[in-house]
Amino acid sequence: MYDWSFSVVWDYRVVYIQGALITLQLSLLAVLFSLSLGLVVGIARQSPRRSLSFPAAWYVEIFRDTPLLIQIVWIFYCLPILMGVTLSAFWASVVALSLHMSAYVAEIVRAGIASVDKGHIDAAKILGLNYFQIMRRIILPQALRRMLPPLVNNFADILKLSALASVIGVYELLHSVENVIMNNFRPLEMYSALAVVYFMLIFPVAFVARRAELYFAERF
Amino acid sequence: MDSTVPAIQLQAIKKRFGSLEVLCGIDLEVKTGEVVCVIGPSGSGKSTLLRCIAYLEDDFEGAIYLGGELLGRVFKGGRLERVGGAALRKVQMKAGMVFQQFNLWPHKTVLGNITEALKLVKKMPRDEAEAIGDQLLGKVGLSEKRNEYPSHLSGGQQQRVAIARALAMHPEIMLFDEVTSALDPELVDEVLRVMKQLAEEGMTMVVVTHEIGFASRVADRVVFMDGGVIIEEGTPEKVLKNPNQARTREFLSLMAHEEF
Repeated sequence: MYDWSFSVVWDYRVVYIQGALITLQLSLLAVLFSLSLGLVVGIARQSPRRSLSFPAAWYVEIFRDTPLLIQIVWIFYCLPILMGVTLSAFWASVVALSLHMSAYVAEIVRAGIASVDKGHIDAAKILGLNYFQIMRRIILPQALRRMLPPLVNNFADILKLSALASVIGVYELLHSVENVIMNNFRPLEMYSALAVVYFMLIFPVAFVARRAELYFAERF
Repeated sequence: MDSTVPAIQLQAIKKRFGSLEVLCGIDLEVKTGEVVCVIGPSGSGKSTLLRCIAYLEDDFEGAIYLGGELLGRVFKGGRLERVGGAALRKVQMKAGMVFQQFNLWPHKTVLGNITEALKLVKKMPRDEAEAIGDQLLGKVGLSEKRNEYPSHLSGGQQQRVAIARALAMHPEIMLFDEVTSALDPELVDEVLRVMKQLAEEGMTMVVVTHEIGFASRVADRVVFMDGGVIIEEGTPEKVLKNPNQARTREFLSLMAHEEF
């Protein structure tokens, strides 16, 4: 029987806290960028103009159909050689995560827009609202409500996927903890505690989302 | 509006969905202040015709003039070319439209639905827009519902809000697309009463309807459509009581049988 010793976890609590801070920074930046980028790409995908919808569709396929791990490595190692653009490991991870997740956000946005009753758009058109007014005042407020649950899922995914930044040496949670394991040889305790920390980060996100959903359900 | 210019002028309107020709050349003129009821079996193209006049269907052949101005087209080198943006909307907004499914925006209150276009399109300050909204809600008898969301209203109430919303923009023409077809029978009258009042105030109206009673009492002219063409038109007296065409008679007898 294995002899658990969780006191080592407590000894290294600072490592968990610092790692969690980096994971949060990385994830929040990626959420911010992937939401903005995904919104633009998603709207472009729903555009009646093929010159917009076609490139947007390919953007989504390229970033969704290739592994995030390769995207991280590619941006960190290949971009400097090909384009002379050097990013720190942290920023390379932010960029890769943002691009990758923006493809998923774009799909959520597209589905959300498509779910809005066409009659609501007809009514707005004949009242003289232009494309941007219809998008901002009629479509997006309704679409957003349906987009909220999958977007929160996305946020949770980003928090988990940010662990991949460890491969290029970003001291986020996973990399920080693995570093410690090489010294204290306590992988079982350290990894178990790591899972708990991730859970503590992600659970509140899901909780807030459920409250937001209820709030919207009561209003309309 | 200059009363010598027809409120609506349709010239050889054709519209197809894929290989299906829905409108096969419609010519129609509606005078200012006139109430025209369009009747006909489902699939006859009457709703599509209305959607063309509203420019919700944009790839039709032929020309539509609203108050003498071309809708969604310009003459360029002797040919009609499409035009969009502000030039389109200026003419499109001469018409207001009410739909079978109400199409109120569910995330806005009753008052919000009515004032939205006033604020966004006419750039009206909030209090001014709300004053217009309240006045119109009074007109359709729903003042006490101003702060409700549409989902808390009955179908008849929603439809009356939809009429108020369309009227807020001061349209010269009102288009009604089977506006009572989705309503429970006991709610039909409250909507028809508002429409009748509008007609009496001199609004130019095109009403696609299955309410033969309404057509015979309110319409100046009845148009019977079938298979994408106008089969017969004239006063309600003539078209509904003494139709010339066999297809009109057949349709009307089927409508009468509905109430057995």
